[in-house]
Amino acid sequence: MTAIALPVSPLAHRARPTEEPVWVRWTLIGLAFTFLTLFLFVPLISVFYEALKKGWEVYIAAITEPDAVSAIQLTLTAAAIAVPLNLIFGIAAAWAIAKFEFLGKNLLTTLIDLPFSVSPVVSGLIYVLIFGLQGWLGPWLAEHDIKVIFAVPGIVLATIFVTVPFIARELIPLMQSQGTEEEEAAVVLGANGWQIFFRVTLPNVKWGLLYGTILCNARAMGEFGAVSVVSGHIRGSTNTLPLHVEILYNEYNFAAAFAVASLLAMLALVTLALKTIIESKNIQNDKGKNR
Amino acid sequence: MYTFKQHSVLPGFNLALGFTLLYLSLIVLIPLSAAFVRTAALTWPEFWNAVTTPRVIASYRLTFGASFAAALVNAVFGLLVAWVLVRYRFPGKKLVDALVDLPFALPTAVAGIALTALYAGNGWVGQYFEPLGIKIAFTPIGVFVALTFIGLPFVVRTVQPVLEDIESELEEAAATLGANRLQTFLRVIFPTLLPALMTGFALAFARAIGEYGSVIFIAGNMPMVSEITPLLIITKLEQYDYAGATALAVVMLVISFVMLLIINLLQWWSRRRSALA
Amino acid sequence: MSIEVRNLSKQFGDFAALRDITLEVKSGELLALLGPSGSGKTTLLRVIAGLEAADAGQVLFQGEDATDQHVRDRHVGFVFQHYALFRNMTIFENVAFGLRVRPKKFRPADVEIRRRVQELLKLVQLDWLADRYPHQLSGGQRQRIALARALAVEPKVLLLDEPFGALDARVRKELRSWLRRLHDDMHITSVFVTHDQEEALEVADRIVVMNEGRIEQIGTPDEVYERPASPFVYEFLGKVNLFHGRLHRGRAWIGGIEVDAPEHTEAEELAAVAYVRPHDIHVDKVANALNGEGAIAAHVSHILSVGPVVRLGLTRDDSEDKELIEVEISKARFRELQLTRGNQVFIKPSRLDLFPAQIH
Repeated sequence: MTAIALPVSPLAHRARPTEEPVWVRWTLIGLAFTFLTLFLFVPLISVFYEALKKGWEVYIAAITEPDAVSAIQLTLTAAAIAVPLNLIFGIAAAWAIAKFEFLGKNLLTTLIDLPFSVSPVVSGLIYVLIFGLQGWLGPWLAEHDIKVIFAVPGIVLATIFVTVPFIARELIPLMQSQGTEEEEAAVVLGANGWQIFFRVTLPNVKWGLLYGTILCNARAMGEFGAVSVVSGHIRGSTNTLPLHVEILYNEYNFAAAFAVASLLAMLALVTLALKTIIESKNIQNDKGKNR
Repeated sequence: MYTFKQHSVLPGFNLALGFTLLYLSLIVLIPLSAAFVRTAALTWPEFWNAVTTPRVIASYRLTFGASFAAALVNAVFGLLVAWVLVRYRFPGKKLVDALVDLPFALPTAVAGIALTALYAGNGWVGQYFEPLGIKIAFTPIGVFVALTFIGLPFVVRTVQPVLEDIESELEEAAATLGANRLQTFLRVIFPTLLPALMTGFALAFARAIGEYGSVIFIAGNMPMVSEITPLLIITKLEQYDYAGATALAVVMLVISFVMLLIINLLQWWSRRRSALA
Repeated sequence: MSIEVRNLSKQFGDFAALRDITLEVKSGELLALLGPSGSGKTTLLRVIAGLEAADAGQVLFQGEDATDQHVRDRHVGFVFQHYALFRNMTIFENVAFGLRVRPKKFRPADVEIRRRVQELLKLVQLDWLADRYPHQLSGGQRQRIALARALAVEPKVLLLDEPFGALDARVRKELRSWLRRLHDDMHITSVFVTHDQEEALEVADRIVVMNEGRIEQIGTPDEVYERPASPFVYEFLGKVNLFHGRLHRGRAWIGGIEVDAPEHTEAEELAAVAYVRPHDIHVDKVANALNGEGAIAAHVSHILSVGPVVRLGLTRDDSEDKELIEVEISKARFRELQLTRGNQVFIKPSRLDLFPAQIH
């Protein structure tokens, strides 16, 4: 820019001094987009493209054949058991950790996060070590004709394991940041424990709770590694949706594999949409509180 | 007097903590300890032999090498994506911001087959590399691609809030003192982001080491070349080599615990940094 | 180095932060921009620094147009309200920053940087803190380091945005007089923004009073305090009593008093307001003592003794208006009058300024 001594400087747009030049800005945006396109957008689009490549009829057939339907049922069943259990666990853990001071609290918080850092394969393996034929409880279970591994209970257990932390880790920081004053006020006013929880605590954390539940559900329905180890891949009986995708793919039935995969991709997109909505709600809530 | 629990008028502590501990023990702690107890049945040389065969060593090398490379790429591009999302305005920004979490939400098997289809020699992306003599799918590069996808959100999501919190005054101060944008970034902004960036890197790395679903489709799974450690555990399990599988699992678990410790330390550092104004 | 600002305007959306501002800062002067929040004073400072670009108008340094110069090239020292120290650097590195980021050609040798930084740290009397980090310092210490950092690049002008705004009252007073002494030693052209009238009156050579993006008055502390150019300045700087009356052809009638108003010879039957400082009011127990007619009868409703002065709150007898008239008299005068609550007194402004009443 030139420094011409005009009586009034032109209304030209001048960049703020802490902004990058336009070409730098667009280069960075372009680079970021290239990366995201290669690793994110194109894979997502390709799922739907491959699923519909052979037409709608193949697509519909793939997701309505009996094995696919039973896989959907098993996936929904596993999630329907794992999510509520982890919801109760998350609330109990958050209540103890966020509202009380006790020894070993930090250790407990770390332990809750543990399943996140364990490889899914290892998560499945440990249940095989306990309930498998050669496992601790294997002989006893065999005697009583109870099947856990290569059966539905094993799949449910593995699903619970990998989703343990989701709701607790959303609730703990949220409830910690809200402190205990409101609950103590409720105690002073004569409320009992359940009244305090349902009338004071729960309304304050409902969005965080929902947020954690949605993420927990997505993972429960999508888990592959851990479930794969304990399932035994029995078509029509111990196959979840992700495992069904694998089987179809390994049979070179790509169109069907991607058709089933597209269901899971839609689940992911719905999860992300709900997550974004809840986040914006949360931001509005925070703003409301600051006022 | 040191007591286990500080006094509180709120009810439900015993019930809540009791349930938490019981649940955690049954679902997580006892099963995890099974791996260690089972391994203890092995003698030390048996254990050592099981976890150091050439095939296992090759799998470590691939798992750690590809995870490290993927986490590194994610550190660089994750920082870039976070920067672009926080600092610039462009069409579709909200959508991009939401989609960054896709690898968290998309089942790994779906990611695995999609990436394989794309990066295979005849795939949308792979076809451009094939003529250059670069094969991506069914090679270690494919493993790297899958792990990059899996780790993508970590760095973005750890760096983003820190970047949003940097006061514009700091950058203005640097500008009044004569620093150009690059100097301001390198000397003022980057050091502030560093703890978060390293936390994101460690999270992506830890996740990549244990990853299974997205990798097995694209890896080709050739022993000694493109076989990751988690897959090797499954292979041993399918051959009824429980001891071998468990020994490897213990190695993976120990690494997980070390990573967890490192991540906790990094997060503590990161929080301390941002707490000190 | 002098600073000249010509016809600056700046909009933030619908909000006009600066409206046609013209101003000159003389070389070596310490100038205060004083005004309430939202008056545009900080925006003006940031435009001078180059941190903000004006929509229209010019900024000149020593007669040369700097309007389109980048903040980097303006060589201004800027001190931020919240210090903006780099938290990842030691105090030493903070002060050295401006020297270290210079292009290689102009960068002093390491030894020289070391010497200069030490010198500056001594100047702000904090050389013993060189190896500490910003978070280990108190607010007052941080602000002095921020100043040392700004001075390290040998700026031609020094700009300070509410430099003492975030400090507690005692530290603020200390730093205020310290800044004044520092300025007297260095004579660097300085502009500082404040909303604290006492601070501006005490420290500045000249004060620019701003309101709603405009300059209300420019003058020395005495001028703006003693001869406020507008009702706004009167009310913003110090306490003031308002007496309502009327203006007509160079004469004004306020209460029972008639005074000359030579500035208002054209006024025809205008409503007027007289602004009177609390210490510009005579008080006596008998009307005659105030020599002549026009004294206003009132009753004492509050008495507040503050150190050497006594503040009286008076209610007028001739009006329903419950608004208190505030009067300040010396303790000696107070003892002489032997006033207690409920006493009748007579008052008469000894000095007043007339403004036509604003029509709302």
